[in-house]
Amino acid sequence: MSVTNLILVTLLLTFLYFVFGRQKAFAVAKTSGGLQGMHSLPSHYGAYVAVWCALPALAIIVGWKLFEPTVIDSMLASSIPDSVHELGEKSVALYRNEINNAVDSNNIASLTDPVKQATATRLASLQNSAMLGLFVLVLCTVIALGVFALKRITPDMTARHRVESVVRSFLFISATIAILTTVGIVLSVLFESLRFFSQVNLIDFVTGLNWSPQTAIRADQVGSTGAFGAIPLFTGTLLISFIAMLVAVPFGLMSAIYLAEYATPRVRAIVKPLLEMLAGIPTVVYGVFAALTVAPLIKDIGSAVGLSVASESALAAGLVMGIMIIPFVSSLSDDVITAVPQSMRDGSFGLGATHSETIRKVVIPAALPGIVGGILLAVSRAIGETMIVVMAAGLAANLTANPLEAVTTVTVQIVTLLTGDQEFDSTKTLAAFALGLMLFVITLVLNVIALYVVRRYREQYE
Amino acid sequence: MSNNTTEKVRASLQKRYFKEKVFRSIGVVAIVASLSFLVVLLGSIIYKGYPAFKASYIQLDVTLTEETLDVSADAEDSELRRANYLGAIRTALRERFPEVTKRGDKRNLYRLISSGAEYALSDFMMEDRSRFGQTHSLWLLADDEADALLKRNKDLTKPIRTGENAKNKDALITRLNTDQLGWLQSFKEAGETDVRLASTFFTNGDSREAEQAGIRAALIGSAYTLLITFVLSFPIAVAAAIYLEEFAPQNKFTDIVEVNINNLAAVPSIVFGLLGLAVFINYLQLPRSAPVVGGIVLSLMTLPTIIISSRAALKAVPPSIREAARGLGASPVQVVTHHVLPLAMPGILTGTIIGLAQALGETAPLLMIGMVAFIVDIPNSVTDPATVLPVQVFLWADAPERAFTERTSGAILVLLAFLVVMNLTAVLLRKKFERRW
Amino acid sequence: MSSAAEKAFEELKETVGRVTVDNPKMQAKNVDVFYGDKQAIFDVTCDIGKNEVIAMIGPSGCGKSTFLRCMNRMNDTIPSCRVGGDILLEGDSLYSSSVDPVMLRARVGMVFQKPNPFAKSIYDNVAYGPRIHGLANNRAELDDIVESSLQRAGLFDEVKDRLNAPGTSLSGGQQQRLCIARTIAVNPEVILMDEPCSALDPIATARIEELIDELRENYAIAIVTHSMQQAARVSQRTAYFHLGKLVEVGETKTIFTNPTHELTENYITGRFG
Ligand SMILES: Nc1ncnc2c1ncn2[C@@H]1O[C@H](COP(=O)(O)OP(=O)(O)O)[C@@H](O)[C@H]1O
Ligand SMILES: [Mg+2]
Repeated sequence: MSVTNLILVTLLLTFLYFVFGRQKAFAVAKTSGGLQGMHSLPSHYGAYVAVWCALPALAIIVGWKLFEPTVIDSMLASSIPDSVHELGEKSVALYRNEINNAVDSNNIASLTDPVKQATATRLASLQNSAMLGLFVLVLCTVIALGVFALKRITPDMTARHRVESVVRSFLFISATIAILTTVGIVLSVLFESLRFFSQVNLIDFVTGLNWSPQTAIRADQVGSTGAFGAIPLFTGTLLISFIAMLVAVPFGLMSAIYLAEYATPRVRAIVKPLLEMLAGIPTVVYGVFAALTVAPLIKDIGSAVGLSVASESALAAGLVMGIMIIPFVSSLSDDVITAVPQSMRDGSFGLGATHSETIRKVVIPAALPGIVGGILLAVSRAIGETMIVVMAAGLAANLTANPLEAVTTVTVQIVTLLTGDQEFDSTKTLAAFALGLMLFVITLVLNVIALYVVRRYREQYE
Repeated sequence: MSNNTTEKVRASLQKRYFKEKVFRSIGVVAIVASLSFLVVLLGSIIYKGYPAFKASYIQLDVTLTEETLDVSADAEDSELRRANYLGAIRTALRERFPEVTKRGDKRNLYRLISSGAEYALSDFMMEDRSRFGQTHSLWLLADDEADALLKRNKDLTKPIRTGENAKNKDALITRLNTDQLGWLQSFKEAGETDVRLASTFFTNGDSREAEQAGIRAALIGSAYTLLITFVLSFPIAVAAAIYLEEFAPQNKFTDIVEVNINNLAAVPSIVFGLLGLAVFINYLQLPRSAPVVGGIVLSLMTLPTIIISSRAALKAVPPSIREAARGLGASPVQVVTHHVLPLAMPGILTGTIIGLAQALGETAPLLMIGMVAFIVDIPNSVTDPATVLPVQVFLWADAPERAFTERTSGAILVLLAFLVVMNLTAVLLRKKFERRW
Repeated sequence: MSSAAEKAFEELKETVGRVTVDNPKMQAKNVDVFYGDKQAIFDVTCDIGKNEVIAMIGPSGCGKSTFLRCMNRMNDTIPSCRVGGDILLEGDSLYSSSVDPVMLRARVGMVFQKPNPFAKSIYDNVAYGPRIHGLANNRAELDDIVESSLQRAGLFDEVKDRLNAPGTSLSGGQQQRLCIARTIAVNPEVILMDEPCSALDPIATARIEELIDELRENYAIAIVTHSMQQAARVSQRTAYFHLGKLVEVGETKTIFTNPTHELTENYITGRFG
C-alpha cells in the first residue's frame, strides 16, 4: 500500500470508467435518435466520466498528503514522554527524528529504549491507518463520482464542451506554472532574506568588507554581524566573470564573425555544431577540468617564472569559465550578425570596401546592440555559474583584484553555507538566501536589459 | 578629379588587403583555438578516464578451511557468510611471501589487496559450499595504488619519486614503498597479475576505497531523477506551449507569462536549488537527498527550455492546416489534439530531449537539496536518498586519493556518453521529421 | 506572350538597334552570366556612353539587376555566380586579373533598390567611402567632401542641422538621396542605379529624377527601372531586356515612340510585363 499504488489504481479505475462512459453513450444513442442525435461523440462522454473520477481523487490524495504529517505529529505528541517535552522544543524534534527514521527504515526493533519503541509502534500504526483511510476514501470517491457521472449521460448533455473546458483549464494552469515558479523563487528567497536582515544590518551586508560566516555562528561573539560583509564576494564574482569575458568575448565574437561572414556553408555546417558541443558539456566537467588540470598548470607556469600563484587562483576558474561561455557568445552573436540585412553589406561593397572593412565598419556597428545584449546575457551566465567556481575558486573571501590569488564568489558561498548539516534557521543558512536574492536580482536585471536590447534590435531589421 | 581618386585608392590598397588578411586570420585563429579547447578538454578527460574502466587483479592461492576462516564446515549460512575471509586472504599472502616476518612489513604486504576482496571471497564461498576445505587459485582485486601501476604497465623496478630525485621524470609516482613494489614485481613475473575490464565500476555504488567505487548508485539516481523530470515537465511544458501558441488572448497576462518564461530560462540554476530547499524540503517537508525533489527542481528548471522549443515547433505548423481542420467543423481543442500536435510532436520531442540532457548534466541545484550524500546503496525508489552522476563526479573530484581522479574522469565519460546519445537522438529526430511546408 | 512573340524571341539572334556609342565609358561584350548551372544573361553586348543616362527596362526576372551588378563586379559576392564575355571600363577589362574589385567599385559606384543607409550618422554614412579609401587628408577636407556630396545629392539643406542624427532616421526618399550622396562622395566615374525609386513615393521619386539629370554632367549613369515613364524622363538611351537577352537598344525617344522589335513593342504598349 503506497501512494504510487493508489494513484495507479485510481488511473486504472478512471480508464474503466472511460470505457463505461463510451458504452453508455452508445447505448443511449441506440434508444434515442442514433449517434446523430447525440450532442457529442461517445468518447467525449467517456472522457467526461473519466474527468469526474480522476480529478477529485487526485485532489484528495494531494490534499491528504499535505496535511497528514501535521495531523500525525500532533496525534503523536501525547505519546512522547513528558520528560522529553520538559527538555524543550529541540529535544522533542530530535526524539521525533529518531522515531521517524526507525519507522521509515522499517526497523523499530533497532530502538533499544522501550518507550521509544512504543512511540514508534504508535507512529507506524497511525501511518498505516492514515494510508488505509486514504485508500478507502479515494476509492469510494472514484466509484461514487463515476456512477454519478454515468447517470448524467443523456443525448443533449454537452460532454464535449465540458471536457474541452477542463482541457483548456489545464492548458491555462500549465502556462501559469512559469509564473508560479518565479513567484516561488521570489517569495522563498525574499522571505528567508528578510529574516536574515532582521539579524544582520542590510547596510553592513552590502558595504561590509569582511566575510567570515564561520566565526559568526558563535552566539557569544560580539558584533558577529560584522562577519557578513558581502563586498569581497561581489568583487570575487566580478573578477572571475571579468576574466571569463576576456576569454569568451574575443574568441566567441571572432568565431561568430568568421562563421557568419567568411566560412563556406560546409565549414559552417561542421564547425557550428562542434562549437555548440562546448555548450553541451555539463559545468561540473568544466569544474573538474579547472580544478585538476588548469589550476595546477597555471600554478606550475607561475612558479616557473617566479610568480606565486594560489592553487585556487581566480585565473584558472575565470579561464575555464570563459571557455564554457565561448559558444554562448558565439551563437548569440552569430544570430545577430546574420540578421544584419544583406543590403547593408551590398552598400558597403558597392562603395569599394573590402570584406573586413565592411564587417568592422558596417556590420558590427549595425549589430552592436544585439551583440551587447548577448554579452550581457553571457555576463549574467558567468555571475550565476556555480560548479566551476565551487570546484576551482577558493573559500576565503579575499578582497583583491589580483587574478593569481584565490577569491571566492557569491555562488561558492551559497553552496558552502547550505551543504553540510546545520539547522535551517541559523544566520549562516539565512545568509545563503540573502546572497541568493542578490544573485537573482542582479541576473534578472541583466537579463531584462539584455532581452529588451536584443528584441529592439530584432524589430529594427524585421 | 577622377584620377585623384584612382591614385589615392591605389596607394591604400596594399595596406587594406594586408588588414583584410590579418582580420580573416584572427577569425580562423579564434575558431581553431575554441575547437582546440574542446579537444584538450575531452582529450584530457579521456586520457585520465579510460583506466577507470580497467581494474587490476592479483592471483592468490587462498585456502578456505576451518583454520583460516574461523568457522566449522557445518556452520549456518549466515555464520559462514560473516567468516574471517580477510584472515584467509592474509594467510594466503603470508604463504606466498614466507620471508616477510616483521609486523610492519606484513601490514604493508596486506595493503596490496583491496579491502573489498574479502566480500568477493565471501560471495565466492557462498556460491558453492562445497568449496569449503579446499585451496582455490583466485583473482583478487588489487588495491588502488598497486592498481594504478599495474594498469598502466609501469616498470616496477624503477626508483620511486621522492624528495631526492624529485626531478627524475622517469621515477614512479606512488605511495607504495620499495618492498611493496618488489612483491608486486614478483607477482607480475609469475604471471599472477592481470588487468581486466572493471565491471565493478558499473555494478558498485560509491565507496571510500577508490578501487571499489562505482557509478551504479549514481546512474540509478540519475535515472529516477530524470524520470520525475520528464513526467512533470513534458506534459506541463507542452500544455503551456499549446496555451500560449494556440489559445492565449493578446493581453497583458499573456505578455507577462511570455516575459516570465524568457527570464526564467536565464535564472542561474543554483537559484532553483534555493527554491527547492526552501519550498519542497523545508516547507513541504519532502525527503532530503531524494530523486523526487531533485526531479521537481530540475523540471521547473527545464520547463522554459521545453516550452520555448515546443512553441517553435507549434509555430512551424502552417496555419492552413488549422484552417482546413476548422473548416471541417473541428473545435479548437480538436484542431490542436488531432492535427497540430501530432505534426509538431517531433519538434517538441527534440526540444524535450535537449532539455532533459541539460537536466542530466545539472549539478548545482541538486547540491542545495542534499543530493551530495555519500551513497553506497543503490536507491530503490524515488524517495530513497540518492545522488546523480554529475554530483558523483563532483564528489570524486574532491577526494584526495589519486585513484579517484580516474574514477572522476571515468564517470564523466559515462555522463558524456549519455549526453551524446541523447543529443544525437534529438538531431536524428529532427532530421528524420524535418518538414518543409 | 503570344506565340508570335515567342517565335520572335526564339529567332532573336542579335540585339536590334545600335549597341555601341561613339564615346563609350563602359563596354559590355558578349556577356553571359550563370548562377550555378542556370544562365541568367545570354550574350549581351552594350555600351554606356560618357555623360549619358542609359535606362534598362524589361519584365522582372529578365536579368537587369544581374547585368548591372556585373558592371562593378558586385556579383563576386555571390559564390555561385560566374561571368563570361568581357566588360571594359575605359578600354580596360574589368575581369582581368590586374583589376582590383575594390578599386573598380570606387570608380563604378552603385545605388540599390532599397535605401540601405548604414547604422551610422548621416555624416559618417557619407564619409564612409572617403574614409576607407583614404580620400581626405584631414578633417576639413572630409567635411568638404561630405558637404559637397550632400549638396550635389540635394540633401544638404534638409540635414545640415543634424548631421549626427542616424541615417536611418531620415525618410525613405531622403535615405535614398543619402545613399546617392554616399556614392558620389567617392567621386566615381560611373553610377549604377538598380530601381532607385521603386521604394519611394512620387514626390521623392521626382526629386531623385531631377538629381539624376543633374548628375549626368559629371558621370555616366546606368539606371534599371520598371517604370517606363521614368525611363522616358531621365534617360537618353534605353535598353530592353527579355529573359536574359538584350532585345533592343536605341534612343529613348525612338524606343518609346517607334520600337523595332515586336517584344519591345509588346512591353511598351503594356501587353505584358
Ligand atoms: N543570387 C542568385 N542566385 C541564383 N539565381 C539568381 C540570383 N539572383 C538572380 N537570380 C536569377 O537570375 C534571373 C535574373 O534575375 P534579376 O537579375 O534579379 O532580374 P531583374 O532584376 O531583371 O528582375 C532570375 O531568374 C533570378 O531568379
Ligand atoms: Mg532587379
